[in-house]
Amino acid sequence: MELEQEFIPVVLFHIGPLQVTSTIVDTWIIMAIVSVAVIVLGKRLQIKPARWQNALEWVVEAIDGVIRDMIPENPRLFLPIVGTLMVFITAANLGGLIPGLSSPTSDINTPLAMAIVVFFSVHYYGIHEKGLLGHLKHYVEPIFILLPIELASELARTLSLTFRLFGNILGEEIVIAVLFLILPYFVPVPMMLFSIFTSVIQAYVFGMLTVVYISGAVRAYE
Amino acid sequence: MGDLPASDLFIIITVLLSGAGIVVGVIVPAIGQMVVARSAMNAIARQPEASDAVNRALILCLAMLESLAIYILAVILILLFANPLRQFILGG
Repeated sequence: MELEQEFIPVVLFHIGPLQVTSTIVDTWIIMAIVSVAVIVLGKRLQIKPARWQNALEWVVEAIDGVIRDMIPENPRLFLPIVGTLMVFITAANLGGLIPGLSSPTSDINTPLAMAIVVFFSVHYYGIHEKGLLGHLKHYVEPIFILLPIELASELARTLSLTFRLFGNILGEEIVIAVLFLILPYFVPVPMMLFSIFTSVIQAYVFGMLTVVYISGAVRAYE
Repeated sequence: MGDLPASDLFIIITVLLSGAGIVVGVIVPAIGQMVVARSAMNAIARQPEASDAVNRALILCLAMLESLAIYILAVILILLFANPLRQFILGG
């Protein structure tokens, strides 16, 4: 079962009681690449942007535009979390294309961790914007019978965020691996090109859904 | 198939069901996505100036529908690679 071994993260070493798996090391490598790239690119900012600064500004403006459409009042408050999620997920998904690395997002723990971050930040921003009572009140509006459904949807959205990202990336990697087993070298290439598309779309969808959930919590209901 | 040992039978049935399951589990969300995409195309053709809003909603809806297929994929991966019932049949 070589295919099976490919997708189960191996424990590399231990730090105290914590197991450090290959997923975590891959995450560190991707974090290092993204951090170094952003620090180097953000070092000499000019009023009249050069080539790379322009690209960076385009990314920030695109993410800002997504938030601005959904949350018209004070959208800059949510730029850090949504931007971090989108940039990290894009880099992590694309990292699977580098030989030797596997996407951290194809291990279910990474998407689950990010979905839990989204879960708590939705409640944080909801309480921050509307107060504790105001935030809790929207669970029983317009009628209290909806309370169980609202609570179930809180859990379901966290799970669906997790499984959507995990399943897409893992499915993509399995398809590439199977094609590679059948006919190596040239047949998997179109699928790998397609996986670039999927990676970016999935990062966009994750960030978009985060914005939708946060906007549901902070929006003022009339 | 009556004279096969239980472990072989278990593997055969798992593989057959997984194949059938992924086919059904992909076709049904695909039909749903087709309906969504067709309505979105109609909406854009009717009102091209609303295409930004339609695009955003379209991607959200497609992602929601796609997660149905992903659930099937997750279940089938568990059945194939990490079936919790396997230890009872195959003996550890």
